[in-house]
Amino acid sequence: MDNVNVLVVEDTPTDSDALGELLLTNEYNLVGVASTYAEALSLFYKNKVDIVIIDVFLNGNAEGITFAETISVVPNKSKPFVFLTNSQDRQIFERAKLTHPFSFLLKPFNELEILYAIEMAVEKFNNQTDVFLSEEQDTVITNEYLFVKKGRALKKVLISEIVYIEVEERYCNIITEKEKFVILISLTKILKTLDTTKFCRTHRNYIVNIEKIVEIIPADNLIILTGNRKAILSDKYKDFIKKIQVLR
Amino acid sequence: MIEIKLFIISLLHFTPPLLSKKQPDENLLNIEIKKKIKEFNSEVNFCKASLYFMKKNWDSTLVYSMKQLSTTNNKDLIDYCYYFRGISFKQKKLLNEAKKELNTISNNFLFYYKVRLSLGEILLDQNEFKNAISYFQEIEKLPEDVDFGFKRSTVLHNLGISYLHLNQFDKAETYLLKSSELQLLNKDTIDLIGSYADIANLYYVQYKDKQAIPYFEKAYRLSKTISDFELKRKAALNMAVVEENRKNFLAALTYRKEYEQWKDSLNDQNKVWEIAQFEKKHAISQKQKEISLLEIENKLKVAEMNGLFYSSILLSLLLGVGIYFYEQKVKSNKIILAQKTELNKLNTTKDKLFSVVSHDLRSAVNALKVSNTKLSENLETKNIENLEKLLQNNSAIANGTYNLLDNLLHWASLQTNQSFFNKESMRLFFIIEQIAYNYKPLMFDKNIHFENKVSKNDWVYADQESLKIILRNLLDNAIKFSNQNGLITLYTLNRDEAYCDLVIEDNGLGMSETKRQELLKETMLLSKKKNEDVIGTGLGLQLCKSMIKKNEGRFMIESKEGKGTKIIVSLHKNQKNG
Repeated sequence: MDNVNVLVVEDTPTDSDALGELLLTNEYNLVGVASTYAEALSLFYKNKVDIVIIDVFLNGNAEGITFAETISVVPNKSKPFVFLTNSQDRQIFERAKLTHPFSFLLKPFNELEILYAIEMAVEKFNNQTDVFLSEEQDTVITNEYLFVKKGRALKKVLISEIVYIEVEERYCNIITEKEKFVILISLTKILKTLDTTKFCRTHRNYIVNIEKIVEIIPADNLIILTGNRKAILSDKYKDFIKKIQVLR
Repeated sequence: MIEIKLFIISLLHFTPPLLSKKQPDENLLNIEIKKKIKEFNSEVNFCKASLYFMKKNWDSTLVYSMKQLSTTNNKDLIDYCYYFRGISFKQKKLLNEAKKELNTISNNFLFYYKVRLSLGEILLDQNEFKNAISYFQEIEKLPEDVDFGFKRSTVLHNLGISYLHLNQFDKAETYLLKSSELQLLNKDTIDLIGSYADIANLYYVQYKDKQAIPYFEKAYRLSKTISDFELKRKAALNMAVVEENRKNFLAALTYRKEYEQWKDSLNDQNKVWEIAQFEKKHAISQKQKEISLLEIENKLKVAEMNGLFYSSILLSLLLGVGIYFYEQKVKSNKIILAQKTELNKLNTTKDKLFSVVSHDLRSAVNALKVSNTKLSENLETKNIENLEKLLQNNSAIANGTYNLLDNLLHWASLQTNQSFFNKESMRLFFIIEQIAYNYKPLMFDKNIHFENKVSKNDWVYADQESLKIILRNLLDNAIKFSNQNGLITLYTLNRDEAYCDLVIEDNGLGMSETKRQELLKETMLLSKKKNEDVIGTGLGLQLCKSMIKKNEGRFMIESKEGKGTKIIVSLHKNQKNG
């Protein structure tokens, strides 16, 4: 599991310092702090950024919103962001709202508020609302990552690194090449959101990353995966072999 | 030449007898007609014809008699009607029609002799002298001692004239003389003049000048005594002709002149008549003018009335409109007055708010100043123990002041409706956690036990920022009014399908019922609170109430003095459908 990368766009040093400290203590990676629009853009493109925290007013102008607008229109590059602002000015908010999805926070903010805002931004960005705060699930699935809430912090898992998923009632065991952990998500949701060209259901409780398959032993109803991990293959789901045979 | 003159004279002479003979005998006829009217009063047309006949209105008589003839079978009435028609036609000189009508009258007619007489006169008029003579002789044979309502002299005269025309001078002489004798007896001057003139003519025609001239002179002399210009003129003319024939031109000339004079008189009379006619016409045209003037006046009056009518309508309309606008004005005035009082009230509240807020801020900053001086003094004396206490005090003051300013700012933006307001669904628990996080140190100071018992599955539909402001203020209040080691609990009541009731409960000071009522009022509460050391204007609670109202929520307070307070905020659970 990796830490989530956060870019902070904030021109007030006290605020950015406090934010950086806060994020680090909550196991977020601080990619950088930008104080101008240009700086923010260069940092955004240079680094792998998962979330951006943007102060609406940079040097007295609403450059923060401009930045949000800029990254929103770039295809496949847009990221969830949180607006920070001193004022509750209606016009600013109306403009910020156009860069949907967004979440905002009025200064001064406390730790809980910023974490809440980040989670909200991720949820809204991926159209999977009410995930991290509910008791039924704790994972947002994007194309690239699983965002999992671990304690107060948010963690991410690269989906391509997943070998297989074992479903256990309300829980799912995620087995990557390096580690193994439990997430809270329903099977239906995971089936719906995972890329079906990469993941196949092989059993009532097993979802396998096709690229990680080493060997299939239909006789033993067994699938051998990288790292010598094993998954069960049931008769009901044997059809998926056809796909793989085509691949070979 | 003489003969021509004779003819003129004799012809002219037989009209007066016709006219004059009417007067006496008409009465007899009239009496009889009146009797008939009484007898036949149901025959309207007959009555009318008779009345018109008596009035000598010949045209009307003709019309009604005709009508009567077409409806009746009574021979008596028919005879009368024919008689009326005959006489009428005769008077209108339609002699042939008159003859026809008169001839149809039966022998039984009471005035049959009058019919014969009329017929004779008509024939005489038409120069059928022989036939005329036969009619007149019929009349002449009637007994002399009975009054038949006509002049016997006239009949004799007419006979004489007829014979004269037939050149039977002997007979003519006898009849004319007889007639003149009768006329002399009756003193019928006008007829007598005619008779004398005719006798004179009779002799004159036979060149018996010596016999003729005395008669002419007699006629002339008599003519002087009467006023009939026509007769005078003829007599004078006759005399002039006679004198001329006697070569007595001087006398002839005087007679001529006299003749001319009478002729002028006649003309004058005609002129007078004409003038009268003209005057009549003039009067009529005058009347016509008057009538047309009146008509114009009438038209003007009508126009005037119409004008008045329309103008009155217009005026009433204007009045109505005026009244309407006046009422509108009165109404708007009332509204303005109400608004004015409202504004005044609000303004005084605002002023009071300003003074209290500024006072509070001033005292807070002053306390901070004093505390800071103390702090530096202590720092100089290295009295480290006191430092922590003073710092805590300072931060408490700063916190309170900050909250006040924050509320003030929110209040201002709420009043000007400038703040962003966006309702969404959220989990209440986490919002409370976020707010409570800031108050953890404060509660720790007072050793207050805080519990957030709200379920994680409680949702509210509200604007996040305003909800945070509400919670901040209520939590702040709860802490303020809590004692050391107090207990603050937040939990929800699910008493309603649509509303989520959040209860903020403390076991602190509580409040009296009157205070509670005051707090729930719409107006701003600006009294100092019981525990004087706490800064407060009531602005926070007022802000809460406004925010809750904006979120379409409800606000309640339950409190017991000395026992604690429950503040209940009801918010929508879900977005309202529709």
